[in-house]
Amino acid sequence: MNIELSINGKVAKMKIEGILNSENAYLLQEKLTEVLNSEATLLELDLLDCRNISSTGIGKIVLFYKDFITKGGEIEVVRSSNSVYELFSMLKLNQLFTVNLG
Amino acid sequence: MRHRILVVDDSSSLVLSLAELLKYNGFEVETALSGTEALHKIETEDYDLVICDIEMPGMSGLEFLSHVRKDYEKEIDVILMTGYEDKEYFIEAIRNGAADFIRKPIDSKQMMRSIQTILNRKKRRNDFSEFYNNLEKAEFHFELDPRNFSKFAVSEVFHKFLRQNFDLTHNALNEILICVDEMVYNAYIHGTLGLNVQERVMDHNALQKIINERLQQPEIASKRICFHFSICHKTQTIKITVEDDGPGFDYENWIKKVTNEHKLNLEENGRGIAMLYHLSDKLEFEKEGRTVTISKKLPVNKK
Repeated sequence: MNIELSINGKVAKMKIEGILNSENAYLLQEKLTEVLNSEATLLELDLLDCRNISSTGIGKIVLFYKDFITKGGEIEVVRSSNSVYELFSMLKLNQLFTVNLG
Repeated sequence: MRHRILVVDDSSSLVLSLAELLKYNGFEVETALSGTEALHKIETEDYDLVICDIEMPGMSGLEFLSHVRKDYEKEIDVILMTGYEDKEYFIEAIRNGAADFIRKPIDSKQMMRSIQTILNRKKRRNDFSEFYNNLEKAEFHFELDPRNFSKFAVSEVFHKFLRQNFDLTHNALNEILICVDEMVYNAYIHGTLGLNVQERVMDHNALQKIINERLQQPEIASKRICFHFSICHKTQTIKITVEDDGPGFDYENWIKKVTNEHKLNLEENGRGIAMLYHLSDKLEFEKEGRTVTISKKLPVNKK
């Protein structure tokens, strides 16, 4: 699993590749904390090369979301793989933020 | 399933023409334009073979090979290619464990022969797949001491085992791996360590500290996590069971909640069960919830 994060003013871009599981979810948590501590108010998530996410990984995103919206932040999944898109739809996370496929 | 090859060269035209040739010969092909991009790709995807140029700006083919050998030992075979006639390159490539060495301009027949030889050798070297795929049923079982849990990523060990021995689609494999991760991690976090919601959402260092303290307690250290895997070719079904020595939980209530939930759940509980329920064909609990079993029908093809 690999995470690339770039923060440019109000926009943070994060690209996750591979499988996000319970073993590596803490790496996502660390990157999300960086975003939370920055000026960014929009997090663009690129999950096209993310093959799947475990519930621990989803938990980190949801926890981040709760903190991020209190500072006026927004999340958008700009691209996602089929499996991640289905997972987000199944867990109804697309009710929280926009999730784009492909 | 077709073999997957990653082609690496800083020349996009060469990468494209090689990719076309390999696809024409029945391989699944991905490309990278640098050693760094290739390392990212092999970290996140599985490849049977990498064909990599030696002379690239940034990370050279030899440096790339040395990273692959260090991180993946002998699992990924690498063919190096070069336009130069330098013997030193050749010697270093062999020392670093290159599977073969081909010269540019590429002779397509020679390259296909090299690929076929390497893939056949790989199959003989690490492959019990023919044996496993011809069994009517295969199963294995292991017990895990929680004090050793963090030393191994069980889902990654299992990933290698499944990928090497069974011909599963990428999608099915990913779904199984996520299920394994959910089942084993829950058995560890809930059933063995008994962590509550507040503890689970702590940052990594704080959580590790609590886990280490718990594992010092004899009653926790003596618990075990049991893992059972079976694949039946007759019914084309994979079945995975994980059992812990914890107190169990009210699984009937959770199943009811998961199957009837039409609203978004922002709570920190139950998401794992929801995922197991949706990613498997059958989800069962026994022994007051200490044992969880998933079954999944699979398109398992012989390699």
